[in-house]
Amino acid sequence: MLAALVSICMWVFFQTLDPRIPKWQLDRSMIGTNPGLGFRPMPTQDNIESTLIWFQASNKTNYLKWVENLKGFLDKYYTPGKLEKGTATTTRCSYDQFPKNGEVCDVDVKVWGSCSREKFFDYHRNSPCIFLKLNKIYGWVPEYYNDPRDLPHDMPLQLKYHIGNITEPNKRNTVWISCEGENPADVEYLGPIAYYPDIQGFPGYYYPYKNGEGYLSPLVAVQFLRPTSGIVINIECKAWARNIKHNRADRIGSVHFELLID
Amino acid sequence: MASKGKLNDEFGRSDSYRVATIPLNYDDNKTADGRAKSRRKNPKKPRKPDDLDELKQELDIDYHKISPEELYQRFQTHPENGLSHAKAKENLERDGPNALTPPKTIPEWVKFCKNLFGGFALLLWVGAILCFIAYSIQASSVEEPSDDNLYLGIVLAAVVIVTGIFSYYQESKSSKIMESFKNMVPQFATVIREGEKLTLRAEDLVLGDVVEVKFGDRIPADIRIIESRGLKVDNSSLTGESEPQSRSAEFTHENPLETKNLAFFSTNAVEGTAKGVVISCGDNTVMGRIAGLASGLDTGETPIAKEIHHFIHLITGVAVFLGVTFFVIALILNYFWLDAVIFLIGIIVANVPEGLLATVTVCLTLTAKRMASKNCLVKNLEAVETLGSTSTICSDKTGTLTQNRMTVAHMWFDNQIIEADTTEDQSGVQYDRTSPGFKALARIATLCNRAEFKGGQDGVPILKKEVNGDASEAALLKCMELALGDVMSIRRKNKKVCEIPFNSTNKYQVSIHENEDPNDPRHVLVMKGAPERILERCATIFIGGKEKVLDEEMKEAFNNAYLELGGLGERVLGFCDFMLPTDKYPLGYKFNADDPNFPLEGLRFVGLMSMIDPPRAAVPDAVAKCRSAGIKVIMVTGDHPITAKAIAKSVGIISEGNETIEDIAQRLNIPVSEVNPREAKAAVIHGSDLRDLSSDQLDEVLRYHTEIVFARTSPQQKLIIVEGCQRMGAIVAVTGDGVNDSPALKKADIGVAMGIAGSDVSKQAADMILLDDNFASIVTGVEEGRLIFDNLKKSIAYTLTSNIPEISPFLAFILCDIPLPLGTVTILCIDLGTDMVPAISLAYEEAESDIMKRPPRNPMTDKLVNNRLISMAYGQIGMIQAAAGFFVYFVIMAENGFLPHELFGIRKQWDSKAVNDLTDSYGQEWTYRDRKTLEYTCHTAFFVSIVIVQWADLIICKTRRNSILHQGMRNWALNFGLVFETALAAFLSYTPGMDKGLRMFPLKFLWWLPALPFSLAIFIYDETRRFYLRRNPGGWLEQETYY
Repeated sequence: MLAALVSICMWVFFQTLDPRIPKWQLDRSMIGTNPGLGFRPMPTQDNIESTLIWFQASNKTNYLKWVENLKGFLDKYYTPGKLEKGTATTTRCSYDQFPKNGEVCDVDVKVWGSCSREKFFDYHRNSPCIFLKLNKIYGWVPEYYNDPRDLPHDMPLQLKYHIGNITEPNKRNTVWISCEGENPADVEYLGPIAYYPDIQGFPGYYYPYKNGEGYLSPLVAVQFLRPTSGIVINIECKAWARNIKHNRADRIGSVHFELLID
Repeated sequence: MASKGKLNDEFGRSDSYRVATIPLNYDDNKTADGRAKSRRKNPKKPRKPDDLDELKQELDIDYHKISPEELYQRFQTHPENGLSHAKAKENLERDGPNALTPPKTIPEWVKFCKNLFGGFALLLWVGAILCFIAYSIQASSVEEPSDDNLYLGIVLAAVVIVTGIFSYYQESKSSKIMESFKNMVPQFATVIREGEKLTLRAEDLVLGDVVEVKFGDRIPADIRIIESRGLKVDNSSLTGESEPQSRSAEFTHENPLETKNLAFFSTNAVEGTAKGVVISCGDNTVMGRIAGLASGLDTGETPIAKEIHHFIHLITGVAVFLGVTFFVIALILNYFWLDAVIFLIGIIVANVPEGLLATVTVCLTLTAKRMASKNCLVKNLEAVETLGSTSTICSDKTGTLTQNRMTVAHMWFDNQIIEADTTEDQSGVQYDRTSPGFKALARIATLCNRAEFKGGQDGVPILKKEVNGDASEAALLKCMELALGDVMSIRRKNKKVCEIPFNSTNKYQVSIHENEDPNDPRHVLVMKGAPERILERCATIFIGGKEKVLDEEMKEAFNNAYLELGGLGERVLGFCDFMLPTDKYPLGYKFNADDPNFPLEGLRFVGLMSMIDPPRAAVPDAVAKCRSAGIKVIMVTGDHPITAKAIAKSVGIISEGNETIEDIAQRLNIPVSEVNPREAKAAVIHGSDLRDLSSDQLDEVLRYHTEIVFARTSPQQKLIIVEGCQRMGAIVAVTGDGVNDSPALKKADIGVAMGIAGSDVSKQAADMILLDDNFASIVTGVEEGRLIFDNLKKSIAYTLTSNIPEISPFLAFILCDIPLPLGTVTILCIDLGTDMVPAISLAYEEAESDIMKRPPRNPMTDKLVNNRLISMAYGQIGMIQAAAGFFVYFVIMAENGFLPHELFGIRKQWDSKAVNDLTDSYGQEWTYRDRKTLEYTCHTAFFVSIVIVQWADLIICKTRRNSILHQGMRNWALNFGLVFETALAAFLSYTPGMDKGLRMFPLKFLWWLPALPFSLAIFIYDETRRFYLRRNPGGWLEQETYY
């Protein structure tokens, strides 16, 4: 009898849900409007509490583990067709051409430069690539920092400079990404960083996320070109938009991971 | 017939022994000159609790036998000058103060620790310690440990400490009520030392002190009388006999208790003055020995304490079993051991109804308060319920069943028995007050009477006024005051010229008065006394206004009347008068009382008056109530069997139509020995017979007679009777007032002392005190006790139910790997927050049916918490509640994006701080913080839904059998409870800052709703169950589900 009651209640409740549109969105949901960042590769399930990327460039089996991890994650990016089940319409979007209703933008894997699977994401050369993605939040629209004269003062200089260098104004409709060592020492150990695609951020045309069929999160590949070996480096990456706040403790608007290369 | 307490009608025996022993100022163990007092002497010999014989044992002293000179010498004292100060001080240092060693009390800190570590507290301490261990391990191994465990450990410890302090406070509060009894006016004694009269505190008396006592005093120690001027003492506090006994310097009996030259500590001097030498002090006094015996008796646990222990064992067993099982399962499932420990804590916290013991205490306190307002003062909280499970009451007669006031019950004049009104409020029959017979009788009763009302009682009803004088005279006085009006002015008009007071050899009392009729110069001689003695002295009888010769026929009539009244257990007095002829006895004639120079024979018989201490008005009803409630009422009295039987019959202890063996023998005209004892339901057993009974025989008496009166019992035999009843498996309540009752009071499951007539030793030994000495109050107490037992069941059923929705989230968390649906802090919020007030409010619930119409509960089978209660609470209602909670949990998860199937197995990623992008069913990605907010919102919603289903649970717990429609919602405390828990839940959810403090988040209004259908389901389910329960009484459903 109790089971019947539960079933009836569940059934009635499911009638109120839409399979593609969350009932509560943005601020009305607990997910809120402040997305976090995710990074790949992530340590495996056995080590789920850890955010340490630790590999030996000289040991192929060791770094291949991370490479395979990344490959698995990027699989759907390399072969997007796998996801499509007929209804999805993937188009190439640009800053001038936002997707129409029902369309989703594809993600170009060719812009990742040396962070490609063919090159083992450069793990074997001690300059690993880490992929960053912004958390998907249904219906969330970024408010861009698209005016080089109006940038927050805590934004890294490198990023400010980068934004200032972009000539086409609509290309500034981007959620910017910056990565830094958490402490001055970390900055020093980390060395130079390269971002792919060059725009160093998630282009605005990917937003808002509408749970469209075949939608793929835009990615930013961050390559640490010459990180110091043998030491744990704390890295924090931040996403920049007017409606993204940062909080290191809560890891909102940012992500934290450690890098250790033997 | 007793008239005890007549001097102490105000409040208790205000001058009882404890008073003397408790100084007003704090005893700093220094003597007056600042030196340290000696250590208090150890009790002379260890008293064996079971050494009943010691009570009856003759005191081994010879102070009463030796000559006064030897006595003085032995104590180095002097009858006129007393002790020297030096000697007194020396004695005081040697023997210690003249005070009873107070019964051994448990030190306060031990009591406190008991509250702190008893019951569930131990289990919670384990939880708290595990929390601290888990935290310290985390703290040492992880860089930024979460404070959760530390926080929870502190909360748990705080909960234990707070509830411990709370119950300690409750306990000490109820014992404080007793303190107020003790701290009354200190007792002083007049002592002669070095020829000077001093007033000392009674505890400073020492052996050999010469003390003076006067009427109204309490005897300050055991003394040997050396001089007496008409001293009479009331030994009721010691022996139960309240007839004043005269005391003089003569040695009259070998037995120290019987001899006239000893007066005992804590008895009262009612008349006269005397001087005496202190022969024993403090614990060595007769009273001290008895008090010591009583305190040595072991009382055992109260029934409710047993029930609660049983219940705690049950719950602890379940908690430990579940905890360990899941600890092992968690380890098998490859959880980290620290996580498994945290699960263990959660399960313990969920399993223990933290607030329950406090709830029980509060419920008992509430009932105790209610009982106090009905004149039952409960010393020991648990006694509240004991009274409810009482199956036998051994009641005193005097003062408890009766009014403790001799009252004229019948008169015989004009060859007719007239009934007088004995009711307390004069609502009974009235009689003709105009016949010449009555007038003559009234004149004698008025004039031949030394009793007088005490002054300053103008507003008091006549029957309640206090009287100086002996009990029967007081009865006559009151009767006459009621019949004639102002007795004192009648006496003034008929001036008394001569009087021979009553004495035990003559057994009559005579006085001669001038006649109030100015035309009649004759003196009138009036006499009253033992009827047969009076009749002997009469030649004529006054009948129908005419004087007739007292012939055989009239004597026969007299005898019949006398027997009839005597058979009613009444004390009969005969009255006669005589008009003295003027020629021989003119006005101004010198009458001589010592050598009577007036006729004392050939008088005119007028009539009889009989007196009894009538039963209290409420008692017959109360006894009938007890009977219908299956409680056996046994009367134990020191009074005569006939009186005892008469009172027993009139109050219904021996019900109409039931006969004793003797009655049957009389009816069938056969010897008593031929009657089959099984035929007689009632029995009147004489104390001397009881002495000869073996315990088996006593058991037989108790088993086969439903209506028993023990007459002429010494108070010591009460103990034997109580033990007999307890052997039969009965829960026995005993009433008593004397010191000698205190062992029986202590031995009884619940001892009931008398607030007015009771001695302090008896009050100390008792668990409950009847402030108005009225038996009917016990019945109210029984009713309250039964009600609270029922209501505690309901309260526990209510509280336990929510354990299932508290435990199940943990089990699901471990077994299904879903995010935790309900946190430990929220569990504590339920157990100690929202559930508390409703659970307590159930104590205010009215009885479902007449609880006084069912037999007392059987302590062996009818448990407070039985399997049926557990299976109802856990197995049925609890399951529905858990379903409601989980439903709300899944609703909120799904509405936010995590459909139920997504949740299973997600726990590891969910709880990992490293995962900052957990994908839900809509592809949205959640940061750690956001999904924790979601989880805590689920906790809050789960919590709120438990509150909502507890609404229904509370309403169904109101009744165990009846429909709620029948019971109604008139329990306003409960209605308040409903509002309160809802308001508290809303407060916890919506108050800003709760997200930080308790991890409670505001809920959307819609999220309050999903639990409603479950709440309704609980209500309908249980109403249906109870409907079938009522339809098929005794059926399967009742056997399985009626708790």
